[in-house]
Amino acid sequence: MHRRRYLTLAGAGVVGGLAGCGGSGGSGGTSGGRSIDDHPAAADLEEQPRQGDLGGNVVLAFEDPSCTQCRRFHENTVPDIEDGIVDAGEGAYVVRTYPIIYPWGKPATQALESTVARSEGAFWALFDHYFAEQDQFDEGNVLDRTEQFLSASTDLDGSVVVEDARTEAHDDAVQADIAAAEAADLPKQTPIVLLFRDGEFVTRANGSVSYDLIAEALGVS
Amino acid sequence: MGAVGRSLRGVRLPTRPRDWQLMGRTARLVLALPTYAVVAALASVASLTAFVVSLNVPVFLDLVVGGPLPLGSRLTVFGELYPFVGTNFTPAQGLLLVAVALLTGIDIAMATYHFREHGLDLQQGGAGAAGVVLGTLGAGCAACGSAVLLGLLSLVGVSTTLLFLPLDGLEFALGAVVVLTLSIYWLADGMRGGEINGCPVDI
Repeated sequence: MHRRRYLTLAGAGVVGGLAGCGGSGGSGGTSGGRSIDDHPAAADLEEQPRQGDLGGNVVLAFEDPSCTQCRRFHENTVPDIEDGIVDAGEGAYVVRTYPIIYPWGKPATQALESTVARSEGAFWALFDHYFAEQDQFDEGNVLDRTEQFLSASTDLDGSVVVEDARTEAHDDAVQADIAAAEAADLPKQTPIVLLFRDGEFVTRANGSVSYDLIAEALGVS
Repeated sequence: MGAVGRSLRGVRLPTRPRDWQLMGRTARLVLALPTYAVVAALASVASLTAFVVSLNVPVFLDLVVGGPLPLGSRLTVFGELYPFVGTNFTPAQGLLLVAVALLTGIDIAMATYHFREHGLDLQQGGAGAAGVVLGTLGAGCAACGSAVLLGLLSLVGVSTTLLFLPLDGLEFALGAVVVLTLSIYWLADGMRGGEINGCPVDI
């Protein structure tokens, strides 16, 4: 009796644990080989902020500026993507915002979309700034600090951008990214990195995965 | 107070130094048996592997198991899923995951020994299973996989604001360490007065 109880409990624990993480990490393979043109996560890809040229390999990352894992991905992996893929002419790094972690990520995302509508260079500067100063932001100060940064460090008028963010003037772009994630059945976690090799979907990686993993998947050095 | 500390509704807790000595001695005696040392090692590796793979099932299936990559690339991708090799975990998260995996291995080896030699009771089995669940939740949440916790908490109506944990979810991995430690203590306590490989368990 005791043995049976133990095995039942242990089995339930393992199954429950794996089921929980399956929900987090996905429930199975992701049907590699699908064309990037048909992949819902890549809808309107040309309109998204990117580094590098489309047409070859694509690293498509769904990121939340408030997510600590995204910050680590940005610090540890993105510089190598820029060196090994973007600058080497092997493909493009594309970002879609996915504000699901902390509340300040939502107004920050509105500000990012209002920024990229005016200047892609300013978008990347602001995106970097959010990660570099991530600990300093909260829901109450994020737009004020955003305005200060944009006015001081870019050619944009921060007050105009932030006013757009407050009124959610570019909410269509925010919602398009969320809709793309939902249409692709992505889990609610960030970062999520979708890899396309020569225009064909390879896999989806969850978390702050390494450049070596991405490079092996895409066949680049 | 001592009586209160040592007994919470009849549950024994490792509150005295000699309780920890008992745990250490019992674990050492069990792991000194080659069979159970192998069981512990395999269980530790398996639990860590199950955990890191469960966070990236698509990568595992598409690149490690399936897909056209050569063997060397598959092994590289597989290795990159682990803490301290890849970049998916901070050093603190990696240490905690390895600690949970090691404790899981010790716990399973001791439980297997106890199961084979003496049978096992509900409290001990339940604690071990709870440790596995907490360990899985912990790293999942630490990887911003808040959906796991959200789903579980929503089942019991808990506010999602609880997701904003100061340690980014490492609280659950710490919880797993506590539960596994308790499980090991209860297993050791259950073996008190006996012998392992001819050596008395009691300190």
